[in-house]
Amino acid sequence: MSDLAISTLQTQVKPERSAVGSLRIVQTASILVIALVIVSPLFMLFVASLKDDRFQILADMGSFRAFWVSNPTLSNFAEVGNLSGELAFGRYLLNSLIILASTVGAGLIVNSMAGFVLAWGSLRGRALILSLVIALYVIPQESIIMPLVIMVSRAGMTDTFAVQIVPWIASPLYIFLFYQFFAQLPKELFEAAQMDGASVFRIYRSIFLPLSLPALATVSILMGIETWNQYLWPILVTQTDYARPIAVAIATFFGQDSIYWDRAMAASVLMMIPILALYLAFQRWFVSSFVGSAVKG
Amino acid sequence: MTLQQPALPATAVATRPAWHRDRGRLFQEIGMLAPAVALLTIFLIVPFLLSFWTAMTNQPLVPRPTPVRFIGFTNFLRIFKDDLFWTSLWNVSRFTFWILPVQCGLAFATALLLHQKLPFRNFFRGLFFLPAITSMVVVCVIWGTLFQYPTGPLNQVIGFLSGGRIQPIDWLGDPNWAMFSIVLLSAWQAYGFQMIVYLAGLQGIPDELYDAARIDGANAFQRFWHVTMPGLRPTHVFVLVITTIQAFKLYTQVAILTQGGPKSSTETVVHYMVRTGFEEQKLGYASAVSVILFVIVLIIALVQRQLLRRFDV
Repeated sequence: MSDLAISTLQTQVKPERSAVGSLRIVQTASILVIALVIVSPLFMLFVASLKDDRFQILADMGSFRAFWVSNPTLSNFAEVGNLSGELAFGRYLLNSLIILASTVGAGLIVNSMAGFVLAWGSLRGRALILSLVIALYVIPQESIIMPLVIMVSRAGMTDTFAVQIVPWIASPLYIFLFYQFFAQLPKELFEAAQMDGASVFRIYRSIFLPLSLPALATVSILMGIETWNQYLWPILVTQTDYARPIAVAIATFFGQDSIYWDRAMAASVLMMIPILALYLAFQRWFVSSFVGSAVKG
Repeated sequence: MTLQQPALPATAVATRPAWHRDRGRLFQEIGMLAPAVALLTIFLIVPFLLSFWTAMTNQPLVPRPTPVRFIGFTNFLRIFKDDLFWTSLWNVSRFTFWILPVQCGLAFATALLLHQKLPFRNFFRGLFFLPAITSMVVVCVIWGTLFQYPTGPLNQVIGFLSGGRIQPIDWLGDPNWAMFSIVLLSAWQAYGFQMIVYLAGLQGIPDELYDAARIDGANAFQRFWHVTMPGLRPTHVFVLVITTIQAFKLYTQVAILTQGGPKSSTETVVHYMVRTGFEEQKLGYASAVSVILFVIVLIIALVQRQLLRRFDV
């Protein structure tokens, strides 16, 4: 950063326009260099997944061939894309998609309803519940996981989809984000609908929810990334293929004596596609100021 | 208003008894709040309270015929006597010390660049966020190959830039380097969120402040130091605290790439907890570790509150 500032200082003596021009060049150059460093590992992953020889992948790593494939093939994807058998990454991907859709879908409904009531309801204990929710935000998942494993295994929930979905639907962070978004909408909106005789649920469903696309999109992206990347919880509660998510399945590559990088790369690319699609779909409404508003919370 | 239905005549509302309406509304509100409250209670509050109880018992992972006994603070005393616990705490502190400048610096730099009115700004914003949506397992696949010893890409680049003077580094196999290697891939994966928070902070600084500074003759560096930096103070606190808390919860990348090794140089608090709880099957002991982790996180969060209050936000 100081480079940027210094370059500005040096150009101050020149006429304003050329100073602005050279600053632009420095900024554009830095952005391109950072972009190159940031994106090249991902590009390498994508390229390597198209090479079918795992020894070739490692040999290529030492040169610029890591970023080039001369005869691309989809054979790795064919190898790992099965729905059953030893390399059933198609199945694991499907499992993860089921978990993702259910958690985010239910999470949007449950957390937005709660956030709405906390913002506009008339319940007596509203303020108390809100401050309790904010306090709960401090508890990290890692520090409740030990008793939670006992609880779900006593309830016979291990190795199910439900055990990977239900515990993570309600979340203090997302309740708070929805609360904040709803609370800043104008009071007239609520009052006018109330005058028209609409019930609280109806006001939520027909007026506030349609207006909250930025909140829904932001929570979808944050919750989606969080759910998709779960690792500690699923390794503790899944033992068989039945509900194993793709993250856990990919990690098993590392347990082997020699890693099948070709398969690991293809499975990784498979894992990236859905979350990338989710991000691209909602990115337009992903408002950064909305995330930033949690700063003061 | 989006409500399409014709409004009820005012009399219809008025003739319904007030208490009836209020009670209906109350039931609806409780109904809308209930799912979240029930789920939070069962899956967050109960296990949280249970962890304090379990921490004071000799609870095993698999139920045994002998009853679970209350053993007071024995688990905590054992933890404090275990060198490996102190090693893990020290490692996590080292990790925090390195990740704060690397990750927050990268986030701040990219946010400052993206805040400028450059062409393709939104494209770059999306591009810079890509690592943040990449799962940690995938990050491990990628960096596992980048770190290959001795001829992996990272060693090749360093060898090329140094003209062969720097010998290849065994990134994940050398106890002196392993934690720093974990820092590199963790910062690459996670800086995107902090970048978003910084961008929001930068947007929150009113343009009038910059205009006023310009009229007063402040140059770009002075404007950065006297307008941008003070305006970002709460953002800095938030970003540093979130990064510190994340750092203390370090687990996945270590579990996949190094399993705490070599020579316990990447053992972390959470990895230690999972190992004692599930490999050694001492769930009570592991719960005690989780209580300690919670206390650490709580202290960091309270420090943040104090700092924010001092900055008067």
